Amino acid sequence: MAASRSTAKSTETSAATSAIPPTSPRALVLGGNRIPFARAGGKYAHASNQDMLTAALDGLVARYGLQGERIGEVAAGAVLKHSRDFNLTREVVLGSALSPETPAYDLQQACATGLETVVSLSNKIRLGQIESAVAGGVDTTSDAPIAVSEGLRRALLDLSRAKTVGQKLAAAAKIRPKDLAPATPRTSEPRTGLSMGEHQALTTAQWGITREAQDEVAFASHQRLAAAWDAGFFDDLVTPYRGQSVDGNLRADTSLEKLAKLKPTFGLTLDTPPTMTAGNSTPLTDGASTVLLGNDAWADEHGLTPLAVVVDAEAGAVDFVHGVDGLLMAPAFAVPRLLARNGLTLADFDYVEIHEAFAATVLTTLAAWESEEFGKERLGLAGAFGTVDRNRLNVHGSSLAAGHPFAATGGRIVATISKELHARKAAEGRPVRALVSVCAAGGLGLTAILEAA
Amino acid sequence: MGDTYLNLVNSGVTAKIAKQLGLPQPAPLRRYRPGAPLLGGPALVVGTGADADGVAALLSRTWDVEVHRHATPELRYAAVVLVLTQVSHPDELSAPVLAAAGVLRSLSRGGRVVTLSREATADDAPAVAAARQGVDGLLRSLAKELRGGSTGNGIVMAGDVAADAPSVVGALRFFLSTRSAFVDGQLLTVSSGAGTLPETWERPLEGRVAVVTGAARGIGESIADTLARDGATVVAVDMPSAGEQLTRVANRVRGTALQLDVTADDAGTRILEHALARHGRLDIVVHNAGITRDKLLANMSPDKWDSVLAVNIAAQLRINEALLTSGDFTDAPRIVSLASTSGIAGNRGQTNYAASKGGVIGMVRATAPLLEAFGGTANAVAPGFIETEMTARIPAVTRQVARRLNSLQQGGQPVDVAEAVAFLASPAAGGVVGRVLRVCGQNMVGQ
Amino acid sequence: MTDGRPTAGTYRTVELPAVPGLGGLYARGAAASGRLAVTRRFGASDDVVGALPEVAYVVRDVRTDAARLTAYQHLLGEAATDALPAGFVHVLAFPVATALMTRSDFPLPLLGMVHLANTVTQHRAIRLGEPLDVRAWAQDLRPHRAGTQVDLVTEVSAADEVVWRGTSTYLAKGTSATGTASTSTDDEREAFVAPVPTGQWRLPADTGRRYAAVSGDRNPIHLSALSAKALGFPRAIAHGMYTASRALADVGAARGEAFVWTADFSKPVLLPSTPNVRIGHDADGFAYTVWRPGAQAPHLTGTVTPA
Repeated sequence: MAASRSTAKSTETSAATSAIPPTSPRALVLGGNRIPFARAGGKYAHASNQDMLTAALDGLVARYGLQGERIGEVAAGAVLKHSRDFNLTREVVLGSALSPETPAYDLQQACATGLETVVSLSNKIRLGQIESAVAGGVDTTSDAPIAVSEGLRRALLDLSRAKTVGQKLAAAAKIRPKDLAPATPRTSEPRTGLSMGEHQALTTAQWGITREAQDEVAFASHQRLAAAWDAGFFDDLVTPYRGQSVDGNLRADTSLEKLAKLKPTFGLTLDTPPTMTAGNSTPLTDGASTVLLGNDAWADEHGLTPLAVVVDAEAGAVDFVHGVDGLLMAPAFAVPRLLARNGLTLADFDYVEIHEAFAATVLTTLAAWESEEFGKERLGLAGAFGTVDRNRLNVHGSSLAAGHPFAATGGRIVATISKELHARKAAEGRPVRALVSVCAAGGLGLTAILEAA
Repeated sequence: MGDTYLNLVNSGVTAKIAKQLGLPQPAPLRRYRPGAPLLGGPALVVGTGADADGVAALLSRTWDVEVHRHATPELRYAAVVLVLTQVSHPDELSAPVLAAAGVLRSLSRGGRVVTLSREATADDAPAVAAARQGVDGLLRSLAKELRGGSTGNGIVMAGDVAADAPSVVGALRFFLSTRSAFVDGQLLTVSSGAGTLPETWERPLEGRVAVVTGAARGIGESIADTLARDGATVVAVDMPSAGEQLTRVANRVRGTALQLDVTADDAGTRILEHALARHGRLDIVVHNAGITRDKLLANMSPDKWDSVLAVNIAAQLRINEALLTSGDFTDAPRIVSLASTSGIAGNRGQTNYAASKGGVIGMVRATAPLLEAFGGTANAVAPGFIETEMTARIPAVTRQVARRLNSLQQGGQPVDVAEAVAFLASPAAGGVVGRVLRVCGQNMVGQ
Repeated sequence: MTDGRPTAGTYRTVELPAVPGLGGLYARGAAASGRLAVTRRFGASDDVVGALPEVAYVVRDVRTDAARLTAYQHLLGEAATDALPAGFVHVLAFPVATALMTRSDFPLPLLGMVHLANTVTQHRAIRLGEPLDVRAWAQDLRPHRAGTQVDLVTEVSAADEVVWRGTSTYLAKGTSATGTASTSTDDEREAFVAPVPTGQWRLPADTGRRYAAVSGDRNPIHLSALSAKALGFPRAIAHGMYTASRALADVGAARGEAFVWTADFSKPVLLPSTPNVRIGHDADGFAYTVWRPGAQAPHLTGTVTPA
């Protein structure tokens, strides 16, 4: 403070700075980049998580001119990880065009990984700990880690600990021929032994969701994603990789008739007729996504247009182990809490993004919110929580069409809907909001509110 | 792209055989490296009068070149500058030309001959016009006689443009330097005294923001590299499907990638918005994106004709219109478009391509006046045979012949085109308006 | 449990120096079973069973080690803490009860006996390293529509306080008990309606061998298809206590430290198998059911309720 200032002025100034707490910075979505998602065993069959995430990050750096930039922090993760990827995100940063002085950390919350990186980095930005960040996620089911069998693993560990020849021989003698078969990672829930699809099949049957309703969700997803690609919506959200320039799972020419012909794949052992098919369930997918975050000052310095504000987030979890709720129903609980905290209702949202793990996941979530009984008994409300206008739901398609490389899905959704929010606000000049909901293994769910910046 | 023949005739036994057989003897061309001296030896400045004195002073004092005003026999000169601005009768060509002739045999490899002359117009006295136009024929023929990677180019000053005009100085430096390695037998007209000399010749584009379309690979990639090397901030534009390569280029040049179909209606607006938002300004647009869909006209499909015209010329017109009407492209802006020798001389099977490239030449000529008020220019660069992925697909024999059909007896490199683009995009080139600069090694066809 | 029948209190106590090995017991049991068969074949009252020995076996200062505990916990899906899972206490203590069944005066043949039901009451968590006293006896010999059943009771005490009590009900097929009413005590079974599953168990063919390795219970019916066939089963069957203990593990931490854990074994699980499982808040605490999809009866059902 200048010494020559009058006493009165100084007092006024210091009073102003000390009495009013500094407003915490906004956490802004400034952009995103992903590689097109590819079907497992497709064009990325030989690309590792590190390769794909580096490609997505380098594309982000190129789009926003961040070469050599020291970003506040980069957080990303993968659901299926090799042990060599213990420091995946940092390794990706070191191999990217960002400054090697950019810190990074890995994060994992099953399919919510991508969204959780956005949420936790946003929180750091709001706390003033960092000014900029890159959130991200990647997964490959083509280059998934293969573990040795439990028997071989234990024998090898014993062998490595053995000191004498005798101990080594004894350890080696424990290895049986059948131990040599590799153990591939299972996607079933460790505590129930059921695959995610089988779990959803139970929930689907419980809520009486029809095959037709699921196929309609899948059809809409493909139609909308194809329309977005055709309109060039993804021109500044996606960078091609390994010759894949659009999402490999997208079937622009699919129809309800084609979807209706597919044989059910989940829920075959239930008493109710099976309704879930490969067409209304997400396929195994490879891909990576990134989201650029920052506060206003950083965005301004870098000439970046804020797309959306990360307003708030709420995680949820359900007790599916004891059959209390369906495995993927956590968002049905998290969203009402999130909205209550923010004084909002479903009607206040111009966009609702519900990750399409399965078409039925979206439909059971909507059904729960529309149910008087669920609202009263499970949510403790006076009645049903509310209804989502289908025209506001997954407006540019979602995982059924784009595919679902587990940890990469959150980044895809956040970048896509942030761009849409910004465009809508620019067109209409009013506040525009989006609700994002991602279900995850382990009965988890993560939800967030974004608002056009 | 490699030229095996060029390598063979320049090494060991095969070089001797080639010489005995009288085969073309293309010389490896020296290319520009930042930090290297302008010339590798002394320069001879031929001519009398204020212009010649001024050029000699520029070379020796400002550019640190050893300058001789009179030829020292047997001395190996790196460059000969023939200042012929004062000739008023063809008779007056004799003394300076023959003085220069004496040193041509000992011109060093990669030597430079540059003529400075005035434009011949219908308003001139016939003898004056004859002398001035004579320089054209002289230079073009001389360039064809030079060997060892040496080139001859001329600067033609229009009207009352002074010999120390920024664009004359800029063009002289360009022609003398290794930046013009594949430019040969060309006469570049300087129309005005517009333009500004750079603070440093190493980074003439410092502080300028440039958009390069088709920047993911080939010539566009090289243009992005070259503009960035010269100090520009580069917005690399290419089709969304070329995004992976575009990312590599943008990150290498520390610019930004903009995935965009240039034929989109709003391409110009999006380019401008991107440049203004990210970099605060837009100064240079290089229209490099182009496609070929070769077919004899008799067999031409509407799709092949229309797509080539849409990408190669219609998109440029639309983008230019958006830029010119925006009010944000006004600080000595530069438009540099890629034409082609096909658009000048024609090429069998390329009616669509040649129409689009001829169109480019017409477009820059008519666009330049619209930019003059802001100190801006529009020019074209017409590459001849350039070693790229595109020309690598030409059948082998045709390719070998095409390469040799120029005075340098070889194909050019993408960087040769990029250097010419960078020169025309530079502040010094403000007096070069609506012109076409050929980068073709003095191809035998066309002008 | 006070049901008026003879209990440990009235039984003669025989103190064993250590928990007997189950391997030896099965060998002895096989011999005793053979002897019983011979006795019956030549005896006057064919198929009529004598009285239970009024003896309680006691083993003091039973301890276990962390390696064995951890192996058990990993196999069953329990957290590897130093709290002994209730099923592990069963594994630790039950050989004492088995020893009773191999006595020459035990009226039923050990081999081929079917584990019908099991109830465990755990009063508090038992920690690794606590010295435990085990007391086991047999009681309630009674008829079953398919033979004779008996309860083997095992009590585990720490510092003279009963912390764990298990009752295992066994059936010897084709025999009838003396001194009890001949009317069947079996209730009519209700038709089984499969509930909504909450999970699925993948039980590979070596499930029995792996549980045998951590439990020490190497009953041949669990070990291989061949050894099971010798005893009349088409394939190896999962240990009943393995399935019940997995259900207990699936209930998880929500069971608390004091609980009653029951199991009714209806149909053996032939290995390999991928049965459906429901673990739900369906009783006071939790109820569980394990069944093969489409089956008319469950493999087992049970509850885990607060003690």
